[in-house]
Amino acid sequence: MTAEELRDTIARQFGRSLHIRTLDTGSCAVCEQEIRLLSAPHYDLNRLGFFFTPAPRHADLLLVTGPMIRAFAVAARKTYDAMPGPKIVVATGACALGGVYPDDPFTHGTVDAVLPVDVWIPGCPPSPLALLHGLGVAVGRLAEKVRDLPFTEEHYPERTRGGS
Amino acid sequence: MTLWFIRGLLRGVVTTRYPVRPDASAASLPTPPAFRPQALTRPTADRLVGICPSGALRRDGSVLVYDVGRCTACGRCAAEAPHAVTGSGEFELATTDRSTLIKEIPVREEAR
Amino acid sequence: MTAVEPKTVPGEVTMFQVASPHLEAVVRDLAPALRLADMFASDGDATTLRLVWANDTAGQAGYVITETPLENGVYASVSDIAPAAFVEECEIYEQFGIRPATGKSLNRVMLPPHADLPTLGHKPQAEPEEAHAQHTVGGQAFEFPFGPVRQVGVESLYYGLVTSGEEVVDLYLFTWHKHRGLEWRLQGKTPEQALFLAERTEGLSAVALGWALAAAAEAATGTWVPEAAERTRAVALELERLYNHAAAMAALCQSTGLTVGQSAAEIALERLLRLNARAFGHRYLFGVVAAGGVSRAPDADGIRKILPGAYGEFKRASEALLGTNSFLDRLEATGVLTTGQAKDLGLVGPVARASGLATDARRVPGGPYGDETAIAAATAGDVLARFTVMLAEAAESVRLIGDFLDSETGSGAGAGIAELPRTSGTGLGWAESPRGEALAWVELGRDGRITRARLRPASARNWRGFDDACRSQNVFTDIPIIEASFWLTVAGMAR
Repeated sequence: MTAEELRDTIARQFGRSLHIRTLDTGSCAVCEQEIRLLSAPHYDLNRLGFFFTPAPRHADLLLVTGPMIRAFAVAARKTYDAMPGPKIVVATGACALGGVYPDDPFTHGTVDAVLPVDVWIPGCPPSPLALLHGLGVAVGRLAEKVRDLPFTEEHYPERTRGGS
Repeated sequence: MTLWFIRGLLRGVVTTRYPVRPDASAASLPTPPAFRPQALTRPTADRLVGICPSGALRRDGSVLVYDVGRCTACGRCAAEAPHAVTGSGEFELATTDRSTLIKEIPVREEAR
Repeated sequence: MTAVEPKTVPGEVTMFQVASPHLEAVVRDLAPALRLADMFASDGDATTLRLVWANDTAGQAGYVITETPLENGVYASVSDIAPAAFVEECEIYEQFGIRPATGKSLNRVMLPPHADLPTLGHKPQAEPEEAHAQHTVGGQAFEFPFGPVRQVGVESLYYGLVTSGEEVVDLYLFTWHKHRGLEWRLQGKTPEQALFLAERTEGLSAVALGWALAAAAEAATGTWVPEAAERTRAVALELERLYNHAAAMAALCQSTGLTVGQSAAEIALERLLRLNARAFGHRYLFGVVAAGGVSRAPDADGIRKILPGAYGEFKRASEALLGTNSFLDRLEATGVLTTGQAKDLGLVGPVARASGLATDARRVPGGPYGDETAIAAATAGDVLARFTVMLAEAAESVRLIGDFLDSETGSGAGAGIAELPRTSGTGLGWAESPRGEALAWVELGRDGRITRARLRPASARNWRGFDDACRSQNVFTDIPIIEASFWLTVAGMAR
């Protein structure tokens, strides 16, 4: 299957109705709060065809937070295995992407050390807007931007110096 | 029961139009930094690497390797070297390819 | 010394050395008058046991720390006199391999079974015995483990539920799935570096934990924080309290299936989070507290403009809820904690205040909070009492923020950092997080780096009350309601 065909398949399968299961592998609890706000009136992910589901059997997408604490890895794997294919894994937050906690005796440091990750969403925490963008990317409805962003100042001359 | 319904209608809809339309609240979110290569000397780069608490920066020769995925937008690098670091304003950072989050910023070698 | 006066100097931390043979007598002297807030060990020339005692009485609030170098790796059982110390005794066994002299069986607290993780001292020789009380109800009871992966959007938590059908006979928690070894990680870091991780111990209490750790380092180095910076910390702390209480209200509505109330509370919550971003540059107030002060001043005009509207949403939602009988019926007499239970377990925060205990770290003098800070109280000890306490606290938070921003000394809430000298020392810091008193204690080496950091978020203290609250005549469907009324985090317990 070419990348083009894969993108079309994903868009067809998940583009209009996607069920999301959440998984906490050791977060500080703030990523969970932002995820909960996705169903709040300000963001309302249902209007985009996204739905939360408590049942892994019913889920299409696994939204994972935390640095994959080693003691949790078995539970993480079981949750992933309980989801029928086709399925998408989204790692969200700096902890899940390798920041904050390194690979050490307590934590793997990244979710993709244990689960096959398809989409990565940076942030600490990723805001609900960033999460919506990430979910849109996951189902092929939104374009990825970060590949073409150089993160050098010539690209952002109008921003004031000294921080965000 | 009808009272809250009517009140709600009168107060209007708070739901964002994102992603169809941009959302103004994004402007006040902290975002990963952007770097100014002309001001990024080797000693400055090394200071930034040392101060990042999340392991998002490391120097490889004359390249500052910047992992946007590990960045928490804490602002410590910007506070340390405001002449070399600025805000990017980017929050739409999701990707299907982890390597696209790793940026290589050239470090300015001192003129001999 | 054989006897220690249970007296505290208001606003100060008094320290006593207590020789190991006298520990039991000292605990007996102090336990009736003071609250045992924390207990922890640290390694050095000898393993030292420290007990942190708090005086909650208005006008006398302060802390006492007793330090006991241990001999032979045992100590008199503190939990036999003060039951509040049992969880800490289990923790000390896991991290240092030393146990109370009575040899009582201990439970697993932080370390996963069969794992070889770094500890703060000598590893224990054997796994904890993990004895839980036998349960039968009319001869029938069965036990099943629940979790760690639970409902959508909540933290992982593993608990053992003992039930006779629908009624909750017992409930015990295992939080080791989220143990990240924070105290181990802080060793060797400077206070400035440590703040990054301390905030992320329990991100929903980032300001409180950051403040407690910074205050501990400031006490250890004798650093005075500029007053304007103290007021900024207080503004951030009250904003943190506001959004947490809004989130708790939303969780209460969700647990009772009241989606309209949940949406109303979530609107308030989102507006408060956007206020945080406008005021301090981060929705969850990360990075505000710095070692020696604060990293930035708040956007006072922004707060004055936005807070009334955001709090108005909160108030409208809460008033509508207080007028909804079907909602109140679910909360009344659910998850009852008596004053005695709360006292024995040394609980803190809204949970304790709703059970009639007047404890609040803001009334310790010397900080930016004045004597007029109103401390909410109730006595019923049920979910409804906790909810009304949170509502009263939210109203007080709004008043306090207005006060701090318009301080009479003219500078209001400002920025400013006092530089911490690189010296050795020990210090205790505290802050009233939305969940209760958060404590931190540091020991700094000569290079100013941390040799031992103790983090005690309120969650680390209050989860032990959850078992009792769930046990009191409740059924399965009450458990999420009680959990929402406690509004703790697993991350804060597991660290």
